[in-house]
Amino acid sequence: MSHRSLRLVTVAAALWITATLVSPVSAQTRRSPTTAAVKKWTPPRTPWGDPDLQGSFSNTSENGTPLERPEIFEGRKLEDIKGEELVAIKREAQKRTVENFQGPLHAPDGWWQPDLNMTKGSQAWLIVDPPNGKIPSLMPEATQRAAARAAARRNSGRGPADSWEDRSLYDRCITRGLPGSMMPAIYGNSYQILQAPGYVTIVYEMIHEIRVIPLDGRPHAAASVRSYMGDARGHWEGDTLVVETTNFRDEGIYRNANPATLRVVERFTRTVSDTVKWSVTINDPATWIAPWTFSMPLTKEEGPVLEYACHEGNLGLMNILSAARAEDKAAEEAAKKNGK
Amino acid sequence: MRTITIVLLGALLLTAAPVWAHHAFAAEFDANKQVTLKGTIAKMDWINPHAWLHIDVKEADGSLTRWMIELGPPNSLLKRGWTKQSVPAGIEVTVVGYQSKDGAKRANGRDITLPNGKQLFAGSSGGTGAPYETK
Repeated sequence: MSHRSLRLVTVAAALWITATLVSPVSAQTRRSPTTAAVKKWTPPRTPWGDPDLQGSFSNTSENGTPLERPEIFEGRKLEDIKGEELVAIKREAQKRTVENFQGPLHAPDGWWQPDLNMTKGSQAWLIVDPPNGKIPSLMPEATQRAAARAAARRNSGRGPADSWEDRSLYDRCITRGLPGSMMPAIYGNSYQILQAPGYVTIVYEMIHEIRVIPLDGRPHAAASVRSYMGDARGHWEGDTLVVETTNFRDEGIYRNANPATLRVVERFTRTVSDTVKWSVTINDPATWIAPWTFSMPLTKEEGPVLEYACHEGNLGLMNILSAARAEDKAAEEAAKKNGK
Repeated sequence: MRTITIVLLGALLLTAAPVWAHHAFAAEFDANKQVTLKGTIAKMDWINPHAWLHIDVKEADGSLTRWMIELGPPNSLLKRGWTKQSVPAGIEVTVVGYQSKDGAKRANGRDITLPNGKQLFAGSSGGTGAPYETK
């Protein structure tokens, strides 16, 4: 670990301790009430005056919500699919998913409810911009990049599980990347937001990742410094925390983007006391013809986020390699048999 | 008509959104090797990213075979009602699951039936490609 990383870890630890010791004072807004403020809910402030986003949140109920607008909703606006219609869609998605799991194996009734409840899902799809709910077209160079990556993989002479290095960063307990680390999965969808003067920290349950986001306006790291979760810088725009992340690594890059030009802009806004809206704009002129944005609510849940020490016993990885060797052997024997 | 539309929508939403779990079921387990194992709990490893239940299964000749059953992560099991007390060593359980592809005595657990008949859902991987999920 470099000195810089060590210093960051130390600072993060100190900030975490500070943040947990400081009692969460529910300081109401210091602005004078206006007509707009009366109508709009105003988030509480931290003792040092930042909008207070702190708490444990989850987006489990957004599991099963497609990223892009399904064709059946063509010509319709996301905000118009609500009420009874939305409830019916979510209830049907839930029912089918539960039935899929039950099959002949009889999962006990109700196991799903506390753990993964799709009926609370808040929207019919995730992309809010462009308004048609679709990812903009790829630039020609992005299509070429994706093809080159696929060809390099094919021509490497490597199978899907020759070594642990052939497995995904997720299988290997390394990272789900950005924005992957906050995309809802069937479990592990808890996030804890902690604030201290000049910093916001996000703890991700799955994989057990932590982002420490400085708010002091310092420039991004040099272009040569790249990381899986990128280099994040935050600032406040009104009550919204805006986090801009760049400096990604090639491995695990989001949707085949160009790691040198991908800029992910997240907006965290506490819209009501128990909800933070998470909005993500994907900017990469080397990949898409226009930026695009998806969003979803993060809803408060009972904390704290329990430790998900992913490397504690990742026997699955070993078993995947072992399964692949067994398949190799079976294929070899079958070839011998056919040869005779 | 309305019902049909909704059913179609449900199917559409599901196919459009992959169910993510820590690793893909099909890389590790064989959907064609469903097993039902009756055994005595030797120990439970409450570890991440997946918990493992170790059970001793009595063979026809009276010998014991140790099986390892992959479960969901401890956090999920807790939310589904599992506790340390639900799976103490020494109790007899019935496990339904899928055996590993390499033929070892390991299986992906789906559900566990306790001596009192209570069932606990173990499912650790979504989108398994298991026969009943591809229908």
